[in-house]
Amino acid sequence: MSNVKTHSIDISSMQRSQQALRIEDEKVCLSVNNLHLYYGDKAALKGVNMVIPEKKVTAFIGPSGCGKSTLLRCFNRMNDLVDTCRITGEINLHDENIYAKGTDVAELRRRVGMVFQKPNPFPKSIYENVAYGLRIQGINKKRLLDETVEWALRSAALWDEVKDRLHESALGMSGGQQQRLVIARTVAVKPEVLLLDEPASALDPISTLKIEELIHELKNEFTIAIVTHNMQQAARVSDYTAFMYLGDLVEFGDTNTLFTNPDKQQTEDYITGRYG
Amino acid sequence: MKELTTDHISQQFNNELEALRQHFLTMGGVVESQVQDAVQALLDSNGSLAEDVKDQDTTVNQLDGLIDEECRRILAKRQPAASDLRMILSISKAVSELERIGDEAKKIANLTLNLVSEGESPRGYVEINRIGQMVSKMVHDALDAYARLDIELAVKVAKQDRTVDQEYNTAMRSLVTYMMEDPRSISRVINVIWVLRSLERIGDHARHTCQHLIFMIKGVDVRHVSLNDLTADYKPK
Repeated sequence: MSNVKTHSIDISSMQRSQQALRIEDEKVCLSVNNLHLYYGDKAALKGVNMVIPEKKVTAFIGPSGCGKSTLLRCFNRMNDLVDTCRITGEINLHDENIYAKGTDVAELRRRVGMVFQKPNPFPKSIYENVAYGLRIQGINKKRLLDETVEWALRSAALWDEVKDRLHESALGMSGGQQQRLVIARTVAVKPEVLLLDEPASALDPISTLKIEELIHELKNEFTIAIVTHNMQQAARVSDYTAFMYLGDLVEFGDTNTLFTNPDKQQTEDYITGRYG
Repeated sequence: MKELTTDHISQQFNNELEALRQHFLTMGGVVESQVQDAVQALLDSNGSLAEDVKDQDTTVNQLDGLIDEECRRILAKRQPAASDLRMILSISKAVSELERIGDEAKKIANLTLNLVSEGESPRGYVEINRIGQMVSKMVHDALDAYARLDIELAVKVAKQDRTVDQEYNTAMRSLVTYMMEDPRSISRVINVIWVLRSLERIGDHARHTCQHLIFMIKGVDVRHVSLNDLTADYKPK
């Protein structure tokens, strides 16, 4: 009988795509060891231990004031700019303690770029915005600049929209475009880590989806840490999720597991919208 | 585990979940009495009670549609997570089990009407009575477990399905033997066999309902775990 159909369905590969990620299997990009941070007398982070896996998206969620933005700012030493801020413990970027004496903070911030809640393009042309970081590094060759600007704008899914008006002011762009421009400016200097602090909270739903799609693309090349108040967004874009509460890291793990069957009651209460 | 349908900051969401839960339990009540009545109608050769059981099917189907719609709406509007999400998924599956239990009760009612018009079967009523009692209690306890989120009861009910299966096999053997001895009775005994088959299926659906409840409470999928290995102490919440 030649008309017998044989079904060879590879179920194990389907199952693999649904399996929970394990942090032990990941390459470590950033590791945080017993990090305490005080603003004056007030403890904002109380002994945080975690790792940020390489080329994955890690989301931080938690109520306002739980320390998630503070922690994100520690990754490129933005908190150095706050006078009353005191930090103990260490953060290692690929085994280098970024709080060690003699760390070149400007270089650290090139390696660990940051994007904020409100898009903050410079009052310059689109092209010059993206080329800015490169020029600071002393790169002035036009061909190299052109190539990098195009690559960065393509990476930020913006190239097709702006390629005909690269020399117009960036301030004439929509909010969503401006935010993608800022991301392009950040990736232009080829950082290792992208820190995104509420990158879509000032944007409309469609621009938000574009940013989320972009995050998904960018994780092929960069390690991404994102702070968001939008839990569904965290669930959509991240591989790992950290839930913080009052300066403590309550739970950290695979996003799929955390949003379907969290370990801790506090996490459960927060993600289901109950009193914490 | 905390109360499922309270404590959300959104009172509206609490209300929606509570309504869903109430409708599910209401449907359970209808199905439970359908099973009891179907068995009783058969044992008493009570045609009008059998007709009542058939009529209830419309109510069950309407509730099935309503609960499905509620689940869809909550998923779309609230994007539930964690225990809320598991509750919706679990109820949406368990409701299909209830609907099928209702269908089996309706089949029993139809077979009863056959037996009433064609004449009673000479054998099988003792078995129907015994297995009928067992599965009625299983359905009752499964719903009780849902109402009280009682995982120990859920495990107990699921395990009872094994006893039902054993009783069913024993009954089948003896009825087959009887038919071989008296072939003239075959058409009537066949009706009884189909009733037993429906009761056995009701036991399976009650077991599945409990398995969905275990998933809801513990987040563990136990649908394909052997009944021997089923326990109430999965990772405690």
